[in-house]
Amino acid sequence: MSTADTRQGLHVENLEVAYNGVPAVRGISFEVNAGEAIGLIGPNGAGKSSTLLAIMGATPRTGVVTVHGHDISGLAPEKVVRTGLALVPEGRHVFTELSVMDNLRLGAVARRDKSTYKSALEHVLDLFPILRDFGHRHAGLLSGGQQQQLAIGRALMSDPDILMLDEPSLGLSPTAVDTVFEALDVVRKAGKAVLIVEQRAEFTIAFSDRTYVLHDGVITLSLKPEDADNVEVLTEAYFG
Amino acid sequence: MNQLIQSLVDAISAGAVLGLAALAIGLVFGVIRLANFATGEIITAAAYSLILTWDLGWYISIPISIIVAVLISLLMELAVFSRMRNHGPATLLIASFGLSFLLQRVYELIFGNNVRTAPIASGLAQSVDIGGIRVQMLSVTTIVLAAVLLIALQLFLTKTSLGLQLKAAAADFKTARLVGIPAGRVIGLSFALSGILAAAVAFVLTVQSGAVGPSFGVRITILALVGAVIGGIDKISGSLAGGFLVGFATSMLASWLPQEMTNFKDAFVFVLVIAVLLFKPSGLLIKGRGVVRT
Ligand SMILES: Nc1ncnc2c1ncn2[C@@H]1O[C@H](COP(=O)(O)OP(=O)(O)O)[C@@H](O)[C@H]1O
Ligand SMILES: [Mg+2]
Repeated sequence: MSTADTRQGLHVENLEVAYNGVPAVRGISFEVNAGEAIGLIGPNGAGKSSTLLAIMGATPRTGVVTVHGHDISGLAPEKVVRTGLALVPEGRHVFTELSVMDNLRLGAVARRDKSTYKSALEHVLDLFPILRDFGHRHAGLLSGGQQQQLAIGRALMSDPDILMLDEPSLGLSPTAVDTVFEALDVVRKAGKAVLIVEQRAEFTIAFSDRTYVLHDGVITLSLKPEDADNVEVLTEAYFG
Repeated sequence: MNQLIQSLVDAISAGAVLGLAALAIGLVFGVIRLANFATGEIITAAAYSLILTWDLGWYISIPISIIVAVLISLLMELAVFSRMRNHGPATLLIASFGLSFLLQRVYELIFGNNVRTAPIASGLAQSVDIGGIRVQMLSVTTIVLAAVLLIALQLFLTKTSLGLQLKAAAADFKTARLVGIPAGRVIGLSFALSGILAAAVAFVLTVQSGAVGPSFGVRITILALVGAVIGGIDKISGSLAGGFLVGFATSMLASWLPQEMTNFKDAFVFVLVIAVLLFKPSGLLIKGRGVVRT
């Protein structure tokens, strides 16, 4: 009946999330294509994390989510990772009692092509040299910024086509934020799709090719990098 | 002096057994927040296997008991607990109580209410002379067995990919799944390892008693659960340490309490437990963690 869906990247259509009948995300649609960085900003409680977790299959939802045209509805998170999607969760959640290297090893469990493990590891260690230096250290001993690098590195070890990050700048020093976003720029230029959830509007709008504003579970605006300097638009973005 | 060392060796051995039993519980708890009271019935099943097949030779009987324990453990997960993924730790614990009683009745139906006996590894029932000190052969064997199992488990958890996956899942199940670690794989693995540990516990206990009845595994499981809780059940090492402590204390009390009070040794241990929980509850409480279950 239906023709094959040949679209690449991540497509989200009419996504809805509710907790005990209370809606958190109310039917949002957007897409993230290869080589693009897309921002998703909005105040606390807007439904940003719910959106990412729902895409990963970690919280119940309705709507259609496709990766490279394949419907991933109903897949458990560990299956979703194997379709080429990876999430760096809010609060980093590295495995604190394991070494940096073991964290990265675990990231590779979901690799579709195991034969390229070594080069992927080298790539991540080049991207975040600090992880090479602290390879045998317990992840719990790293600073917040280093843990964020590890969390991103761990996600990259699954070799995702689409990398999603939930507030990667949260609690980091300005230099640590720079390190993270420089790395994300490399990832984007390598042809991967990046979806960044942030509360820091100005910064995210300037970095991303396109930024959606989420308010109360609804996308109210779509912004371009130029809008980062537009005070009116920013006010609108913050206060709806 | 001699007596002190003897009682110490016995207490370390008792601690080792209880540590293994608590570890059997803690491994599963770490992953799916289930404090499985029916671990006792896995121990009982392994004990029946040993007693009923001992005639065939230890090299057949022991593997059979391990296989039976692992299968029963996996079966519990498949038939009962896998259907209860969305329930909290309290509900899961109650369900495991129910399963425990049910299995005890099933054992009663199959094997009768009377104990079955066999002289399991009777050679271990003797005492040996080590440097002029007489110690129970079984105590020494138990300590060695526990040490070997713990080293093997530690190597597995730190050196193999599967072990690391289990360790990560025990630390943070939700994140483990987001990273791509299959839930079914690590849950199954935790139940299988729990079964192996239960079989080891059953071996030591059947050598001690030479007999098994339907409620064989209940007492050690209660003590192991208590140990796991005082040690910190949400950490693998916590369960092990707590179980060891309870076993060690019970054994020491049995050796040193006046004759007319030894019947109360468990009661003394529970007083100790209450004291620990009163004075250091913070480090001992279970950290409630939301677990994604689909
Ligand atoms: N597990 C949960 N159970 C119940 N309500 C939740 C849960 N997670 C989030 N919520 C609610 O859903 C809404 C959106 O939350 P969230 O997606 O975390 O927003 P954001 O990430 O934008 O801060 C909030 O009102 C929040 O309280
Ligand atoms: Mg959030």
